Amino acid sequence: MENITLQSSPATPYFPEVNFNVDQGICELKGESYMEETYKFYLPLINWIKDYTKNLKRRLEVNVKLIYLNTSSTKCVLDILEILKDYEDQGGEVKVNWYYDKSDPDMVDEVEDFEAESGMKIELREF
Amino acid sequence: MNTNIVSLMNSKTLLSYRGPFYIELISVFGMNIRNFNDAYFNSRKKLFKIFIELSQNVSNYSENFHMVNNVQRIGVGELYLKEREESYCFTTTNQVKNVDANILSERCELVNASDQIKLREIKREQRINSPGEKFGARIGLIQAVMLSGNKLEYKVEEIDDKYSYFSLTVTIDKY
Repeated sequence: MENITLQSSPATPYFPEVNFNVDQGICELKGESYMEETYKFYLPLINWIKDYTKNLKRRLEVNVKLIYLNTSSTKCVLDILEILKDYEDQGGEVKVNWYYDKSDPDMVDEVEDFEAESGMKIELREF
Repeated sequence: MNTNIVSLMNSKTLLSYRGPFYIELISVFGMNIRNFNDAYFNSRKKLFKIFIELSQNVSNYSENFHMVNNVQRIGVGELYLKEREESYCFTTTNQVKNVDANILSERCELVNASDQIKLREIKREQRINSPGEKFGARIGLIQAVMLSGNKLEYKVEEIDDKYSYFSLTVTIDKY
């Protein structure tokens, strides 16, 4: 398995910074997410997590540091959380941390919705 | 005088655009909204989120569109952002099929008839049940009302027996 690393750029602020690291067992999304054709962007990330949880079966830590994500991106994030929940139900070790800005209460509601929809426990942490 | 007319007279246009809704443009406009030099930080944050959702609806679903490299379809439409004394008012207009205008109108009515608790319930259900991929989460209108706390105002203007213009306005209070 390969790492996935995407740097953010001021010219394309609608793409988040991505750091999926096999050795560290860490998936990190940072910045903002409101690109066109959202699913095409997230598909390799979803496949990476499927591959990791199916073949490596190691601990995985997911850190979400998105200050904004559009509703299409929320669907892709929900897909990821559902995969993680399945992995956890099968005995896999997963930790999901969601970093949020204290001045954005809407994000806290969003995370509550994600928990309710996926069944995955998400730990809220302030930036 | 009609209160709506008074309100319009007292509004200031902050942004207006007509053309293809490229992500590069949406992003620059969005950045501009975020950087308005005023005191309404929280409402601008909500305005930005609503701006992106509604603009991307035009980009994804307008029946009038440009093709980029014969592959990617970019919707054409209009947007207006106005400022009133106590609110921002954001409107998008784009071409839709008449049959879709009816579906959208019904969806707006459903959203307007629901309180915040019901909206959250519908949002969760719709997102889980959306087929995803190119369909997204199908919760953009719900999100706009949940964020603004105001009802959607919509208008359908028939062009011919096949198409209409669909306008959607969301008001975001400053306080």
